[in-house]
Amino acid sequence: MALSRTILHVDMDAFFASVEQRDDPSLRGRPVLVGGRGGRGVVAAASYEARRFGCRSAMPMAQAVRRCPSAIVVPPSFAKYEADSARIMDILETASPLLEPISIDEAFVDVTGSLRLLGDGPTIAADLKRVIRDELGLNASVGVAPCKFAAKIASDLEKPDGLTVFEEEGLAVRLSTLPIGRMWGIGPKSKARFEARGIRTFGDLQNWSAESLVASFGAASARFHDLSHGRDDRPVVGDRTAKSVGHEQTFGVDLADPREVEGVLLRHVERVAARLRRRNRRARSIVVKIRDGEFVTNTRSRTLSEPTDRTDLLWETARTLFREWKFRPVRLVGMSAERFEEAVPDLFSAGDEENARNRRLDAATDAIRDRFGGEAIARTASAFPPG
Amino acid sequence: MKLVCSRDALAEALAIAGSVVISRTPAPVLLCLKLETKDGLLFISATDTEIGLLLGVAEVDVREEGVALIPADKLNQIVRASNDDSLSIEVSKNIATITGRDSKFKVFGFDPEEFPGVPTFDTDDFEFETNCNTFRRLIGRTVFATAVENSRYAINGVLIERIGRNLRLVATDGRRLAVARGECTTNAEEDLTSIVPTKALNVLNRLMNDPDEPVRIRRNRNQILFQVGSGPGAPVLSSNLVEGSFPPFEDVIPKDQDKKVHFKTVELASAVRRAALLTNEESKGVRLAFADGTLTLSSRAPEMGEAEIKIETEEYSGDPIEIGFNPSYLTEGLKHADSETILIELKAPNKPGVIKVGTDFTYVVMPVNLG
Repeated sequence: MALSRTILHVDMDAFFASVEQRDDPSLRGRPVLVGGRGGRGVVAAASYEARRFGCRSAMPMAQAVRRCPSAIVVPPSFAKYEADSARIMDILETASPLLEPISIDEAFVDVTGSLRLLGDGPTIAADLKRVIRDELGLNASVGVAPCKFAAKIASDLEKPDGLTVFEEEGLAVRLSTLPIGRMWGIGPKSKARFEARGIRTFGDLQNWSAESLVASFGAASARFHDLSHGRDDRPVVGDRTAKSVGHEQTFGVDLADPREVEGVLLRHVERVAARLRRRNRRARSIVVKIRDGEFVTNTRSRTLSEPTDRTDLLWETARTLFREWKFRPVRLVGMSAERFEEAVPDLFSAGDEENARNRRLDAATDAIRDRFGGEAIARTASAFPPG
Repeated sequence: MKLVCSRDALAEALAIAGSVVISRTPAPVLLCLKLETKDGLLFISATDTEIGLLLGVAEVDVREEGVALIPADKLNQIVRASNDDSLSIEVSKNIATITGRDSKFKVFGFDPEEFPGVPTFDTDDFEFETNCNTFRRLIGRTVFATAVENSRYAINGVLIERIGRNLRLVATDGRRLAVARGECTTNAEEDLTSIVPTKALNVLNRLMNDPDEPVRIRRNRNQILFQVGSGPGAPVLSSNLVEGSFPPFEDVIPKDQDKKVHFKTVELASAVRRAALLTNEESKGVRLAFADGTLTLSSRAPEMGEAEIKIETEEYSGDPIEIGFNPSYLTEGLKHADSETILIELKAPNKPGVIKVGTDFTYVVMPVNLG
């Protein structure tokens, strides 16, 4: 039997919209839709004020505006969200190195090893929420639970600005009243199939054995029995155990300006590089992932002659890979560093001035970010010599 | 052009000339070898525009003088596959006809005028001279250690340095450094320091078959020229020099190593090779532990297993030390040391180790952190 774990799921509230409201006081308290206004524009985020009118993210912008004509439509500034996200992840990491970001505004943190030092799960969660609010002026909802699945459900229950705790004891009972639509992997279509068999809540699922679920609903439903009881032994995969460090971002709209996409890619590179350095890792393989407006995903990679954690070298490679791709409007851009290798000290590194200079720059940048936050300092794409 | 040539001699010359030719180029003439008769010899030239080779074949009976430009790989394949003792080659209007006892090949060539040409070497006009035996050994001891790609320094080649009669070849990929020393048979006023591409030295190595033959060397602006042997058909290899600066290699040769021990080269090489059997990407290296007259080599591959090999080392001097190395770096160094015994010199686990053969060969290797 595995030891009891304490896992946090941290989910930022209406992240993009909240960032815009924070940065522009005239937007506060008003319905805000972040996204492109064009004919095919999609809502990337809706403020809670806009949600009251039924606006949701991923909804076509035209439809959202019909529902809420008073909404203010703000074009997204992804580089800004990236910078905030980077800082949020840094804050979360102070609670435990077992941090697994799952998107720009969402992450799991396994704080089991930090309980003695930092207090119990709810205390750590409240502290993190406070630091994020004080430092970034943003609200997060946090779920505290003994497993990832339950933590993710918990964070959603009292949004916005929620803090929901599921204790291990009585977890199955607490979950039993939840509608099955909240089950991970049950969408509207399969929901109807389950309801047709009288399964409406987690409690109903708990009464079915894994075998009978499989017999009736297929192999994929086997895990629903365990999950409905709050049993999920998937580990939180932190950078230390991960085989790669990466960041990607889906835009919800198509970015048509290659320079803007490069700007986002550069933020990814900076974050990845900083995480490599914090982990004392060096990567030999750089992967750039691009998804176009037609949802065709393209992955390109390059192997370096030696492993590195230097921002300038990672960026040079990532940018080259990106520029080799025939540009068309982009939905998603991501970058990851893989194939970790020990940095083998070079015979000549003591005399390598360029390397020493770039390392000093990286170290200074890391220090400034640690002290003043993710947005305090950043490279601009144009600051690099034209490639 | 019309000639009859020994198949073996031709096959050998074509194989070496073919190794200069690059397989992919937008210029079809660069895929060709130039054949030209002169003074009763057949001269073959090849170039990839960086490196040029001109060599003569003497086992030939020239019936009609001429010049031709023939695709290297087809000519090579035809001659290599032939069973004949001799082959007849006739070229007319850029079409080569190669005739054997039972065979006849027609190969379409190109206008010889389009070939860029390769430098020749005036035998009397050389800067210095050494012999094949020495030069082969120096190349063998260094060329393996060059970098495949490196943007930082000009280390994709071998540094050739001559000061007076002292000749030194140096190669490094940043993780290990090989320095080989030898003597020239002649002296010269002006010192030489040039970086020669790895490929040129590999071709040169194939030309130096007779250990007693001389190798003459001359610089020509940004080119270096080698002539192997003497006489009108003596092969001439020319190569552009690698531009840029070689790293300050003298600074990284350790001078205060205090732990020294000799080994029979084959014995140590065998131990390293066997210990390397249980390493993988994660385990990174082989551990060498020197203590009490014994060297223990050990390795561990996660989820695979472990290895331990012991060698008696009567004369180990110094405190016990444990140090990790990439086994392939050690294996290559030992293999190319080209000596029955070698000396290992160490200082500390985080300081480079050295393999030495007298003062003729010094091989510096960065250790790896075994964690």
